[in-house]
Amino acid sequence: MHDISDAESRGIPAVFVASREFLRAAEAQAEALGFAPARVLVPHPIQDRTDEEMRSYADAAYEEIVRALTSEQH
Amino acid sequence: MGEWREPAWRIRSWLKLMPKPPLPDGLVAVVKRDCPTCALVQPVLRQLREVGRALTVFTQDDPSFPAGLDAVDDTALEVSWHHGIETVPTLLRVERGAEVARAIGWNRRDWEGLTGVSGLGPTLPAHRPGCGALSVEPDQASALELRFSGGKLRSRRVELASLEDEFESLFDRGWTDGLPVVPPTEIRVLRMLGGTARAPDDVVAVAPPDLVPVTVEKVAINAVMAGCKPEYLPVVLAAVEAACTDEFNMHGVLATTMPVGPVIIVNGPIRPALGMNTGINVLGQGSRPGLTIGRALQLVIRNVGGGRPGGVDRATHGGPGKLSFCFAEDEEGSPWESLSVARGVAAGMNCVTLFAGEGTRCIVDQRSRTPESLVSSFALNLRALHHPKLIGFDAVLVVGPDHARVFRDAGWNRARVLEEIHARLQIPGAEMVRGAGGIEEGMPGHFGSQTLPKFRSDGLLLVHAGGSAGLFSEIIGGWQSGPGGSEPTTREIRR
Amino acid sequence: MTILLDPTSERSVAGRTLVARPASLRGRAVGLLDISKPRGNVFLDRIAERLVAEGATPLRFAKPTYTKPAPVDLRQEIASKCAVLIEALAD
Repeated sequence: MHDISDAESRGIPAVFVASREFLRAAEAQAEALGFAPARVLVPHPIQDRTDEEMRSYADAAYEEIVRALTSEQH
Repeated sequence: MGEWREPAWRIRSWLKLMPKPPLPDGLVAVVKRDCPTCALVQPVLRQLREVGRALTVFTQDDPSFPAGLDAVDDTALEVSWHHGIETVPTLLRVERGAEVARAIGWNRRDWEGLTGVSGLGPTLPAHRPGCGALSVEPDQASALELRFSGGKLRSRRVELASLEDEFESLFDRGWTDGLPVVPPTEIRVLRMLGGTARAPDDVVAVAPPDLVPVTVEKVAINAVMAGCKPEYLPVVLAAVEAACTDEFNMHGVLATTMPVGPVIIVNGPIRPALGMNTGINVLGQGSRPGLTIGRALQLVIRNVGGGRPGGVDRATHGGPGKLSFCFAEDEEGSPWESLSVARGVAAGMNCVTLFAGEGTRCIVDQRSRTPESLVSSFALNLRALHHPKLIGFDAVLVVGPDHARVFRDAGWNRARVLEEIHARLQIPGAEMVRGAGGIEEGMPGHFGSQTLPKFRSDGLLLVHAGGSAGLFSEIIGGWQSGPGGSEPTTREIRR
Repeated sequence: MTILLDPTSERSVAGRTLVARPASLRGRAVGLLDISKPRGNVFLDRIAERLVAEGATPLRFAKPTYTKPAPVDLRQEIASKCAVLIEALAD
């Protein structure tokens, strides 16, 4: 999230993708940084997923990722 | 998408507006246990009770002291602070809620006079000085000021997150001009407000481009950020007032593609009072008052008014002076009356003159010994302002002391100098029109048969400043004059 | 806990706001920053395919380790080459 904060401060719209399990840590970091970056959540767990499952997570998250990085409604 | 909600601003009860606590009628004594003189006067206080005087004793550190006198607990120092108790013991006489007399330390004659009781403390020495009150102890002072005055600050509080670096957080929020600013904590702003007699919620001006009413408090916050001392605040207030007038046209100055910004010229005894530089490097870096005052004005325009580069500010190039441009005239060494007096302000008044100006251009003339030759140098340089073939701009001419000497020796007053410059800047239209000299820029063709003045009659402001060695003067070019442009604007500095 | 007074007109939120977004990603360089935890690369491969299909240009980057923020050189490279950034995949 520091990377996202840094990108934003350099004028680069940024979003980070994390599993739902990471949500609480993400919110704590956001509060500590004083900054809530754009984020998209995917299901947990990740480590044991097959390639096919990872690709379907990516497909499910894609629209939300694009929305987080653009200003127009699709 | 994550949306940021500001944490609820926790209203601390000690930030609520606290009125001055009233004093009970009769005699009021303020003491502390940790004070030999307070210990000394205990029998006197008992004596006053015994003869029937209404006496209330406030104790700053230990309410069980003095024993047997029902001392009132003022360990929060609320009564002491609000009533300006600097020494203990202090004895007050209060009538109908108002203090009418005060005695500081122990002094038999003062106490007898104040109380109307004779024979006080017969075994005590005639007098003994008191001790410093807890309410004025240096390391307590800030906390107390915040506790008791903080409620008068009405601006939104912003709590920084635990990992946020103070200085980075100000950059991150877009509140800086690209350089670091001093974090505007409540105590810094309270101290800054001490530099003016005006109330924090007084409206100073309406700031463009967002047309926001600017309060003294908002100016103070930005003045803290700029690095001003509290004694500079009245100058900043006057500059904000002047900049936001219709005549100065700050909105136009912001929105133009030309490189101009507000230039502040200071006159009056406030200059030496604040230690403003009028000599070497007067237009450059190094001197805190000028730089921070100029910066504070720009921060107000940016943060309160909402005028920022890329937004309403569309300057093609801008210039370094848009960070800050504020300087003081050297009145003491000048052969002439000050700029402010020339503009109709009474001598000895403190004022600022705002001018919509760009960066500086140097006029080099190291050979002219006669005033005629020197004004001719000036005029030839001024002819080229923005473009030799264009008219319609104002300018400030900062005359260096070595150049001013030429005029002093010849007895040329301010009016004469200006007259002679204007006379040399009546230009044949044929030279100025579009196409003349193979240059497409210029004045419209119908001016070809006229004589055109480079400047309007009030369009040149003469200021005396600079180091005492160096045969140079400086031009500060202006923006367009006339309706739609900006008019140099002078405002009095009031505390 | 540092408390500051707001120097602005207070007409907008005092917190740090997100940078303005472009209207769309078409024709833009999209940075994909892999934090280097397992499986993240497969996720980003698929995102990259979808971006290409949409007319955007994915650029791949990877952090040396997920335990620290990205080194300055990498941050600068991303900022100079990319219009927007996706960082994945933390768990």
